[in-house]
Amino acid sequence: MSGALLSVRGLVKHFRPRARLFGAAGRPVRAVDGVDLDVPAGGTLGLVGESGCGKSTTGRLVLRLIEADQGSIRFEGEELRAAAPERLRALRRRMQIVFQDPFSSLDPRMTVAEILTEPFVVHGIGDRAERARRVRRLLDAVGLAAHHAERHPHEFSGGQRQRIGLARALALDPSLIVADEPVSALDVSIQAQILNLMKDLQATHGLAFLFISHNLAVVRHMADRVAVMYLGRVVEEAPREALFAAPLHPYTRALLSAVPDPGGERRERIVLTGEIPRPDDPPSGCRFRTRCPLADAACATADPPLADRGGGHRVACHKVP
Amino acid sequence: MTPLLSVEALTVRFGRFAVVEALAFGVAPGEVLAIVGESGSGKSMTALALMRLVPPPGVITGRVVFEGTELLSLPERKLRAIRGGAMAMVFQEPMTSLNPVFTVGRQIAEALAWHRGLSGAAARAEAVRLLGLVEIPNAAQRVSEYPHQLSGGMRQRVMIAMALACGPRLLIADEPTTALDATVQAQILDLLRRLRAELGLAVILITHDLGVVADFADRVAVMYAARIVETGPTEALFRAPLHPYTEGLLASLPRMQGPIGRLAAIPGQVPPPFALPPGCRFAPRCAHAKAPCALAVPALAQPAVARRWPERAAACIRHDDYAVAG
Repeated sequence: MSGALLSVRGLVKHFRPRARLFGAAGRPVRAVDGVDLDVPAGGTLGLVGESGCGKSTTGRLVLRLIEADQGSIRFEGEELRAAAPERLRALRRRMQIVFQDPFSSLDPRMTVAEILTEPFVVHGIGDRAERARRVRRLLDAVGLAAHHAERHPHEFSGGQRQRIGLARALALDPSLIVADEPVSALDVSIQAQILNLMKDLQATHGLAFLFISHNLAVVRHMADRVAVMYLGRVVEEAPREALFAAPLHPYTRALLSAVPDPGGERRERIVLTGEIPRPDDPPSGCRFRTRCPLADAACATADPPLADRGGGHRVACHKVP
Repeated sequence: MTPLLSVEALTVRFGRFAVVEALAFGVAPGEVLAIVGESGSGKSMTALALMRLVPPPGVITGRVVFEGTELLSLPERKLRAIRGGAMAMVFQEPMTSLNPVFTVGRQIAEALAWHRGLSGAAARAEAVRLLGLVEIPNAAQRVSEYPHQLSGGMRQRVMIAMALACGPRLLIADEPTTALDATVQAQILDLLRRLRAELGLAVILITHDLGVVADFADRVAVMYAARIVETGPTEALFRAPLHPYTEGLLASLPRMQGPIGRLAAIPGQVPPPFALPPGCRFAPRCAHAKAPCALAVPALAQPAVARRWPERAAACIRHDDYAVAG
C-alpha cells in the first residue's frame, strides 16, 4: 500500500538474554518475528493478541523507542530506521504514543500545565504566552477545564489522567498516535468516555491510530482494519467487518469465540488446548500448530506466509482454502 | 429452597464512611451469584466481609448466615474451620496468593492437614487428585513444582484446587479471570462450570466484567457506591435492565456484534465514599434524575413494572412513575 502513513515491512526484534556467568546463554526471545503493517492516514489499524504476542513491542518498534533488528519502517514516506538523530527528533513530533497506565506515564511532580508545556519547550515552539494559549486549547480539546492546569496528576481520576496523556500526545499536532492499551486500566463507563474522545479527536485532528489492545470488543469499536498477532507474527489481517463476521484463521476463530458478549448470541466456543509456547522456542513450521484443531503433519514443516484471500483479507494458514 | 448463604444489612465502615452499605442477598446451594460493579463500588470489600477478612480499622455490621451459622458473631477459632473449609476463596492474582518458596503440592497439603488432618503420602496423593480435578496435565509431576514454574492460567487452577481441597459448598471468587488472556479465561470459566455441575458448588463471583457475568452467572447483583442498585436473574437483567446505572453500563460497553455507533458513556465518575451526593447516589450522573431523587436513598424494591418478574428488584424511584402511568 503506497498511500499508507505508516508502512512496516519484515519487522524483526529478538531480545537476547544477557550472558550468564555459568552455563550457555539462553536463546533469544523472538518477540517480533517478521511483521508487516500499514496504517492509512486518518485511519485506525487495530492490533490484537494475547500477552506475549509481541503487539506492544511492535508499537514501540515503529516509534523507534526500541530499535528493530531488521525490517523497514516508512513514516510519511521516509525510512525511519535510516533517519539521523536530528531528523528522527523532527519526525517524532508527528508520531506520539499513549500508554495503558496513566498513573506511571505522567511525572507526579509536574503540574498539568508543565506536563503539557514540556513538548513546546523541547521543540522550541512559541513564547510563554503562546504556550499558555496552546495548553488551554489542548485542555479544551480533551474535555478538561482551564483550572485543571495547575493541578498535579495524583489529583485526577484514571479517566482524567488518560485525557491528560492524550492532550500531551496532541501537543505537537501529530499525524499518528500509537495507543497501547489506552483504556485497559479504566472502568467500563470511563472507558466509553475515552473511546468517544479518541474518535472525536481523530475526526477533528485527522489522526491515525495504531490501536493496540487485548480487548476485541474495543478494537472492533475503534479499528477500520484489524491485525491479529500470535507469537511474534501477524496470523490474520482484514477489514474489521470481515474479521469479526468471518474470521478465517483458526486462532482468530478461537479468540473471538472465547469472548463472552453480554446480551449477545452465544457463539459456539472453540476451546484451545494447552498454552502459548515459549517465545524463545516457537514450534517449527506454523507457530500455532501445537494448539490448532486443524493442524496436520504438513503444518510442522512449512511456515505459512500471510497470503491474500481476496477483499484485502490476509491469512497465514495452510489449512484455510 | 433454604439459602446456603443469607446476608442481611451487611455494612462495612471505615471511620464515618461506609464502603459497603445495607446489603441483603442470598445464595442457594449450587447457585452462581455475580456481584458486579466498577472500581470503588464496594464489591471486593463485600467478598472480604463475608469471610470477616476486612482489614482494620474496618468495622463489619449486619448478619451473614452460612448453613445456619451466623458468621459475624462466631468466635475466630470456629470461623477458621469454616473459612477455607466449607466456604473457600479464589483471588484475582494467583502469584501473590501463592507462596513462592513452597511447591504447589506442599501448599495444598497444608490446607489438607489443617482442615482434614491428612499428612504425608495421603496428603500428597490427595493433592495430585485435586490438581487432576482442575485439569492440570501431568499432575503427579506438577505437584512438586514451584508457582513461578507455572503459567498464569495454571496458577489460577492451583488456587482453585486449593479452594476445593476441603470440599467447600460455597466458593467466593474475586475477579478470578481478570489477569488472564481471553482464551485462558474461557478455559477457567469452563472449569468452574464443570466443577459447579459435578460438585454442586455455589459460587459468588465478584467481577467488573459484564461478559463474564453473562456467560457464567445465574443471578446478578449490581453495586454502585457501596449499595446494591439492582438484582435479578442474569438473562432478564441484561435483556431489560431496570436501574438507569445498569442500563448505562450496558450501553457504554463496546460489543462483539451489531452496529457500531457512538458509545453511550455515563457522564462523570463514581463518587468516593467521603463525598456521596444526598439521596440517590447515581442521581448526579443519571439522565432520568428529578428533584425527588436527591431527597432519600431509594430502597431496593420490586418495581411495579417488574411484577411479572418476582425475582427482580431495583433501587430507583423512576419505576413508581411507570406504576402511575399504568
